[in-house]
Amino acid sequence: MSEKATTQSSGYQKPLPEFRPETKPFWDGCKRHELVLPRARTTNEFFFYPRAVSPGEDMTQDIEWVKASGKAKVWTFSIHHMGPTPAYKNEPAYVVALVETQEGVKMMTNIVGCDPKDVHIGMDVEVVFDDVTPEVTLPKFQPAGK
Amino acid sequence: MATSIPKVEDAREVLKKHKIVIAGVGETEQGKIPNKSSFQFLSEASKLAIEDAGIKKSDVDGLVTAFSLVEHTFMHCTTFADYFGLRPKYFSSIAIGGATAVWMAAEAAMAIASGQAEVVLCVRGDNTLSGISSSGMVALIREMCHAEFEFPYGLTTPGGYALAAQRYLHEYGLKREHLAAVAVTMRKHAGMKENAMNKEPLTVEDVLKSRVIAEPLSKYDCSIISDGGAAFIVTTEEKAKTLGIQKPLAYLWGMGQGYSHQYLTTLKDLNQIYNAVESSGQRAFQTAGISTKDVDIAFLYDCFTITVLLEFEGLGFVPKGEGGPFALEGRMEIGKDLPVNTHGGLLSQAHLGAMHHVVEATLQLRGEAGPRQVKNAEVALVHGNGGIVSAHSTILLGKQPLS
Repeated sequence: MSEKATTQSSGYQKPLPEFRPETKPFWDGCKRHELVLPRARTTNEFFFYPRAVSPGEDMTQDIEWVKASGKAKVWTFSIHHMGPTPAYKNEPAYVVALVETQEGVKMMTNIVGCDPKDVHIGMDVEVVFDDVTPEVTLPKFQPAGK
Repeated sequence: MATSIPKVEDAREVLKKHKIVIAGVGETEQGKIPNKSSFQFLSEASKLAIEDAGIKKSDVDGLVTAFSLVEHTFMHCTTFADYFGLRPKYFSSIAIGGATAVWMAAEAAMAIASGQAEVVLCVRGDNTLSGISSSGMVALIREMCHAEFEFPYGLTTPGGYALAAQRYLHEYGLKREHLAAVAVTMRKHAGMKENAMNKEPLTVEDVLKSRVIAEPLSKYDCSIISDGGAAFIVTTEEKAKTLGIQKPLAYLWGMGQGYSHQYLTTLKDLNQIYNAVESSGQRAFQTAGISTKDVDIAFLYDCFTITVLLEFEGLGFVPKGEGGPFALEGRMEIGKDLPVNTHGGLLSQAHLGAMHHVVEATLQLRGEAGPRQVKNAEVALVHGNGGIVSAHSTILLGKQPLS
């Protein structure tokens, strides 16, 4: 039921997403370096993370994928000094953040392209794509206008 | 006969009529105990609670367990019933993380009130510290967040709470000291508890200087991991009399749950968390017919320092943003305004969900808390939280029957 991305070809050891049928359009978009977000056609409401059924009152499966602005603001963040797996050992501290996109959904991400100490709540950021393996591209965010 | 939709007021009548009580408690040694299995801890804790109540094992006809992070079994309650040699009429496993222990008491009460059982053993135990492999720990961290949309960014479990903490400090203009104060209070209380893992005194400075895990949280903002078991027995006042139980009883006054989110990604704002805590507490208070002012002692889920503040404020003890200053002024200490986690909590005593919170609440109401005894403790609140401040449960316990 899930299409597990493999790490063998790249040597990338950190956790990778396991795609599901309903989430694959998102990851396909990332691979094209396009941030696409699911929106319920019935209500025009975006939601995230992607699901097969809209989590709204409408419960619709009539979902469209819309190219997002890629612009967001940092809602909260945490500089991680310890990672969740052995692959993070000896890695420098990194920023995990919840950003609120212009479309009004929140995404968990990393803030990259700046000193972690410069990240602050309310900071304007924009999407940047990290091709971590041949199969997987992770959308991350960097300071806007960088 | 006219029918009606049940309300919390009906629950109040049920609790008044049946007088549901906690009639026995037990806790095993807590710490790093590498030679004991998960089911051994469950068995030892059960035996202690049965002996504490002074009843026979065969008097137990209901069983509520939780889950194990080490022994993966998809029917936890009956697996334990088999191991322990019980043949209960009612059995259930609850798996709502840190909200579990508190809800065990509520579920046992509902089972009793609906005639399913009379004496319900609620038990949890695990060899979490000694039994989890490093790959098991990674799997656990992965399960605590969204495996596909959060985990690939290296989000850790402390990191999830750190995200909530950072936003909390930002919104209310507070500092790390306000979080640290919670750890300091818990440590002070653990120092008075024989069966506690970390007792050496701790200062705010110590917390601030401890190793940074996920900013703004440091080592001492994070709970400990431990091996051990704890249990309590739920029955009715009448049944307790029939069984000749001599221990003072702790009466169930109310209960409630509240849910916010499972993954932080779907969290709209901090109010969503506060609302879930409030919803949980509100139904418990409404059932009991009391308010925060009537609570003498509180047990708040403290897997990280931030959770205590969010719960304290969400339950309505103080306005939003005032929990931090309240803690920093030492007002959660024994002998002060509202003692919180007199046993030292998950931050300093041991980590077994909220089992020890329920056990300690019972000991306090019995007047058996020794050097930690809070004078005139008549009403206790216990709040559990599962996930990253996502699933909440509250119970209120009284020294006297609900009137």
